[in-house]
Amino acid sequence: MVLDLLASGLVFSSIIVLGSIGLSLIYSIADFANFAHGDTMTVGAYAAFVTFGAIGGLGGGILSLPLGFFVALVVGIVAAAVVAVLTEKIVYDGMNASSIQLLITSIGIAFIYRAVIQMGFGADFTRFDVEPLRPIEALLPYGIRVTEHDVAIVVSAVVLVGGLHTLLQYTDLGRKMRAMADNPDLARVSGIRTDRIKLWTWIIGAGLAGSGGVFLGLYNQLSPRMGFNLLLLIFAAVILGGIGSVYGAMLGGLLIGVINQLTPVLSDIRLLTDMGAILPLVPDSFGIVIGIEYANAIAFVIMVAVLLVRPNGIAGEAV
Amino acid sequence: MGVLSDPKGYWADLTRAERGVVASIVGFAVLLFAGLLTGALSPTYFLFLVGIAGMYALLSLGLNSQWGFSGLINFSVAAFFGIGAYGTSLMSADSSPIAGGYLPIVGLFVALVVAAIIALAIGIPTLRLRADYLAIASLGLAEVVRLVVLNERQITNGSAGVRGIPPFFEGWPVLATLPQQMPGLVIRPFPGTELVLETPFWGALLNVVVVMAFVGISYGVLRRAHRSPWGRVLRTIRSDEDLARALGKNTYGFKMQSFVLGSVIMALAGVFYAHLNLFVSPGDLDPVTTFYVWVAVILGGSGSNRGALFGGVVIVTIREGTRFLSGLSGFVLDLGVVALQFDLSFISSNVAPLRFLLIGVLIVVLMRYRPQGVLPPQRELIWPKVVNDPPSKLRSGVRETKAGGDDE
Repeated sequence: MVLDLLASGLVFSSIIVLGSIGLSLIYSIADFANFAHGDTMTVGAYAAFVTFGAIGGLGGGILSLPLGFFVALVVGIVAAAVVAVLTEKIVYDGMNASSIQLLITSIGIAFIYRAVIQMGFGADFTRFDVEPLRPIEALLPYGIRVTEHDVAIVVSAVVLVGGLHTLLQYTDLGRKMRAMADNPDLARVSGIRTDRIKLWTWIIGAGLAGSGGVFLGLYNQLSPRMGFNLLLLIFAAVILGGIGSVYGAMLGGLLIGVINQLTPVLSDIRLLTDMGAILPLVPDSFGIVIGIEYANAIAFVIMVAVLLVRPNGIAGEAV
Repeated sequence: MGVLSDPKGYWADLTRAERGVVASIVGFAVLLFAGLLTGALSPTYFLFLVGIAGMYALLSLGLNSQWGFSGLINFSVAAFFGIGAYGTSLMSADSSPIAGGYLPIVGLFVALVVAAIIALAIGIPTLRLRADYLAIASLGLAEVVRLVVLNERQITNGSAGVRGIPPFFEGWPVLATLPQQMPGLVIRPFPGTELVLETPFWGALLNVVVVMAFVGISYGVLRRAHRSPWGRVLRTIRSDEDLARALGKNTYGFKMQSFVLGSVIMALAGVFYAHLNLFVSPGDLDPVTTFYVWVAVILGGSGSNRGALFGGVVIVTIREGTRFLSGLSGFVLDLGVVALQFDLSFISSNVAPLRFLLIGVLIVVLMRYRPQGVLPPQRELIWPKVVNDPPSKLRSGVRETKAGGDDE
């Protein structure tokens, strides 16, 4: 039971991590909390959905996913990046605004993305046209029920995150991005073209979000609200890891995803159910069973707790 | 210099933005009145819209006293609205799983107290946070409130919602039965159209009176508070919190007061909504309401109470006005030579996302081109008396006294 939950937590974490890295990057370099990040994921998912519908399977297959799906994944990533760059150019660029004003603007952007998608595809749930799989036989004796698609999600996420790590640590662009995240003013006077780095940040962040959206669609379903529903979990992950730290976002995403999937364990503890027996004037049946329906609530409470105790998160530098 | 005693002087005294707002309000009122007289808009529905507008005005007044006064980014408007609505309905409704059957006025009292307590509980941890962290945290805590309301079936009826909420004046001496006792009227402003004013109309009118009273009281309190020394401290905190702290103000305490005040006003809006709609469900706690109210406050001008009222009305116009679009199917424009056919079914089948798009575009355009809003709080911050007739004492102020009196 717990092994199974851990495994599905790992899969869910992969999606959260892909979303939270981008959010953290944009938070540190563009300097605002981008509320449109979740809907950028939705954009990626629907772009891939359209592509996959158009080109179909394309034969072959890795981990039971047709090659066409990976083409669609790339299209989803590109579409999310393009939409984000266009938004940056049209809206944010040239706005002489505080981070709060940018935050509020990004809510408007999120609404626009979601409204346009809903106009095109309706509010209903849809699915990628891939065959649902049975859990992998070899893992069933351990009680783990994951499909090959889940493995594909984890592997792809690891590849993407590994690529980002290489980019950040071993390339010129990565060094400049780290410099800028550290201190934008110092980076500018050192001769780094900060505008260009900012643009690359948007491309990378939104691209990762797009891939996260595609995987979320494969893991669950697609709907215009899918990204927005995930947004607060992603914020929780970013805050837990430490805003501005890419590696913190990875760690935070991993933890939030696993905690989220582990909530069924909590319902066995029956945390507050017997309050009535202890407190006077309270009916005996009073109490809250923390079940799966509070999975998100737990993440938000963790988020607030982290903000209070250690606002810089796990990996953030102490100020 | 009132509108009635000196309309010309009043008009000349307004800024350009204020003139635009006044003109558009007058135009809108004329349009509505015309709609009423021609029967395009039923009077009862019109009064329902006025009630909803008043509710949004209350919500934006509440948010304004948090964001506009002291710069708190509170994204839990919908949660406090829901606490107000659930607080009163769980006390007064027949189908309430916990209490039920009390007078709505008891419900009002309980709802406001519960809202104040929850505001304190949310405020104690979050108000120390930086602005953007507060935004994220309050949105998260609002979701927690929504999840609790949705899932604690034994307290809130869960997703089924609460039915059987009595109207606000139930059990009051005269007002409870007033709508039934009022005579039914039929007015025929033009031949062929008639307005029927019967019990539902009088009931709706009573609701409007309630919300007007709520809005009036809140507006009065906030206007007074905004100009008071207390409001001045809040404005200082908003523009420079470190400065306020350096001046020896307990900024956390002031922020808490403003947060609780705003949350109670939001809950008041929820109380009104519960007794207007007579049904509440967890759907009423959807975070979208929060963003509607934010648009209202930003549109009106952060910090401006008049602006909050104006923004609330505009939001209702967008929300309810787009409902009429769903009736459109298309029309044919016959120009004699060629007939143009317009197919509007795309719009009518997409009303919900269209409304969303409209709100999104409005937010972006506002933040880009007019972040201060339509009615920024220019003269609201000063007692008008100070501007209009400066105190005569100034003539014998410090300077003259020191300079040895009159030079003339």
